[in-house]
Amino acid sequence: MSKNILELANVTKNFPGVKALDDANFRLKKGSIHALLGENGAGKSTMIKIITGVYKQDFGDLIINYNKKSFSSPNEANKSGISVVHQERNLIRRFSVGENLMLNNLPKNNLGLIDYDQVAEQSQKWLDIMDLDINPNTIVSELTVAKMQLCEIAKALSLESKILLLDEPTSSLSPQDTKNLFSLLKRLVKEQDVSIVFVSHKLEEVFEICDEVTVLRDGKNACESENIKNLDRQKLVKLMIGRDEQIIKSKENKNTLNENLLELININTDLGHKEISLSLKKGEILGLYGLVGAGRTELIKCLLGLDKIISGKLILNKEEIIIHSPQQALEKFKIGYISEDRKKEGLILMHDVLTNSGITVWSKLKKILYFLNNSIIYNHVDPYVKKLEVKTPSYKQLVSNLSGGNQQKISVAKWLASGTDILFIDEPTVGIDIKTKAYLHELIINLSKNGTSIILITSDMPEMIGLADRIITMKDFKVVGETVNNHNYDDMSASIMANIHE
Amino acid sequence: MKNKIPDFVKTNQFGLLLLVIVFILLFTFTTDGFSSRFNIYALSRVVAIDIMIGLAMMVVILTGGLNLSLGALGVSAAMFGGWCMESMGIPISISIVLILIFGSFLGWINGYVTVKTGVHSFIVTLATMSIYFGFMTLLTEAEAFRKLPEAFTDFGSMKLFKKYISPLLLLSILTCFILYYLFKFTDLGRKLIAAGANPDAAELSGISVSRMFIYCHMLSGFLAAVAGIMLTARIGAAIPSMAGHLGFDWLLPAFLAPVIGGTLLSGGKVTVFGTMLGAILVTLINNGLYLIDVGEFWVRFFLGLILLFAVLLDRAREYFTSKNSIVS
Repeated sequence: MSKNILELANVTKNFPGVKALDDANFRLKKGSIHALLGENGAGKSTMIKIITGVYKQDFGDLIINYNKKSFSSPNEANKSGISVVHQERNLIRRFSVGENLMLNNLPKNNLGLIDYDQVAEQSQKWLDIMDLDINPNTIVSELTVAKMQLCEIAKALSLESKILLLDEPTSSLSPQDTKNLFSLLKRLVKEQDVSIVFVSHKLEEVFEICDEVTVLRDGKNACESENIKNLDRQKLVKLMIGRDEQIIKSKENKNTLNENLLELININTDLGHKEISLSLKKGEILGLYGLVGAGRTELIKCLLGLDKIISGKLILNKEEIIIHSPQQALEKFKIGYISEDRKKEGLILMHDVLTNSGITVWSKLKKILYFLNNSIIYNHVDPYVKKLEVKTPSYKQLVSNLSGGNQQKISVAKWLASGTDILFIDEPTVGIDIKTKAYLHELIINLSKNGTSIILITSDMPEMIGLADRIITMKDFKVVGETVNNHNYDDMSASIMANIHE
Repeated sequence: MKNKIPDFVKTNQFGLLLLVIVFILLFTFTTDGFSSRFNIYALSRVVAIDIMIGLAMMVVILTGGLNLSLGALGVSAAMFGGWCMESMGIPISISIVLILIFGSFLGWINGYVTVKTGVHSFIVTLATMSIYFGFMTLLTEAEAFRKLPEAFTDFGSMKLFKKYISPLLLLSILTCFILYYLFKFTDLGRKLIAAGANPDAAELSGISVSRMFIYCHMLSGFLAAVAGIMLTARIGAAIPSMAGHLGFDWLLPAFLAPVIGGTLLSGGKVTVFGTMLGAILVTLINNGLYLIDVGEFWVRFFLGLILLFAVLLDRAREYFTSKNSIVS
């Protein structure tokens, strides 16, 4: 068999109060794609950071090409041929593609100035290897999200990396882009002699391209370098969460008789939405599907008054309304928005759990002279935080110290606490582990059963088909189709994709 | 085993308190006259104003911004007050209300321009600093108001507690308690902090961030006006140059107090009593160095050094608050 290019042997890493990795093992075979799986907090990130030299392990060895290594910085790991492509984009948006690719080693002319012809020429080489049809002189900010992702991989290759770590590379890609990425990865492994570590929450993808799987649970190996052929989805999920997966319970569609609660009629916006018309019934989950860049989140932000609606009517309870700000949406019209970007827009990371879970209800709870103390807020939000089973040592814990899943629960809890009639929920389960994901799905269904009307934006097709009553498809800031959901995956995905591609 | 250490001991404020005590002991034993009644009284009159301008800066730093116009604004308000009392003969109490409204209005201009243009308040207040001070000099023709009502100037020279403490200090401490109440126990205070910490998240959670930012600037103008009134009462006259050219003399203590006190320069965190202790510490060091007689240059040198150190401390704080979340 082929040899191990990268090995972690009995690695332990302690953080104050937590054993992030506990005697964990990992072996990457040369020329293979290896999935690293686990729930949030299982130790994946820690493992990646040890491999890339961000952290140093307390015990155990890091072995590359059968040599023990010890990196004291990510730069050293880079030099040993290890590159990581993060979820967050690490390209400089105002620089050109070529400059970004060559950044660590910019070619210079005789005068010591940057030789831009060389930059273009050398970077073109890597773009060609990847079969990427991008001009090296393009400014990065003009690229689509998918192309940026591919440029990051090109950058990693340009550093002559032989080991590539991809951290949730598909989380912002459309199905088509994902497909392209995968065929590229397979080609890189074959032609460029690259080995890949692939981190993802989407198991379908793991089965599609990975050769071997390592699963972490609570810092320990639930399985180590197992051949993918010996596993199926059920087994894998069980390894990850320690029990069987609950499948999204499809909801009975019982809201068809209800009247429209919120209606958009021929809405045009400053951001370029054209003639958007849709309606939301009471207690309904209305799905908004579309590729990244279809204008779904942007539409919601226009509805909240953050960007301008140029023309068209917005009708709530048969009355025409204008929303000027999220404050007005919340306090006057009882409309809330759970952001897709919980770190930037959903939560105040540097503040504690109590502040974050109560922020939407401060105005409502305040007493005479604006008086508002912690116990008033606590009494109001505690039931919701408990209901969502947020795991936190106390309400004084900073939200930045919680795991991703618990952070997401808090950004949901604050909107439950606010008691809104309409909730816009944007990508509620991106980067969330399976257990929490199932929990949030159940919660969304229950919310709608109890009368909350929901507009759900998600790029996760199974999630959309599991939860929505009706699905509106958007493309290029326009509505291109509406389908009543029959919860049959094959039917629905076919008709949605047909809407997008016709 | 669990040690019963009160939370207070682990805070930045406790460390500051210890430092203050250390410096008091140090200066008491190394200098002549530090603990004299005269010096303590003089200290209390100075520290009162330093606390007030520290607070005035703190409430803008809360938004992640700065208020460079602080000194110019405070002096402008004080000169306006001198004009009200001396030239117009308006009663003291009404004059004070007018001064506070005037200060808040100048603060509102800072806030409104910052929010509407989206330009960093550093630039906006750099401009208004010049504008306020320029207008003030123009209108007063750089003349002082020296015949203020006696009841007003008497307050500035009043001595309490066996003649050790100026009532100005009590006013500043009272202001600290009021601000503490605002930030800790009111809906409005929480919103101000949330808006400063993460404007995007606060806006989407139903808080009008621009309004909160304008409130912060207004509060800053209000507190600067209070400081202006206090300085006028202390000197017994309203003098255009009483805070230096363009109000520069106020800027160093204004930054030092909140930054030493633990207010994050990036916004979203306030420490009212930290700012108070920071101001006390700065005044103490200032005073002690003068008593040791090291010379004006060295005093400024040390204060500059302390500011740099405090900023490093600020970076460290930010680093450690973000590094708490190493496990994901």
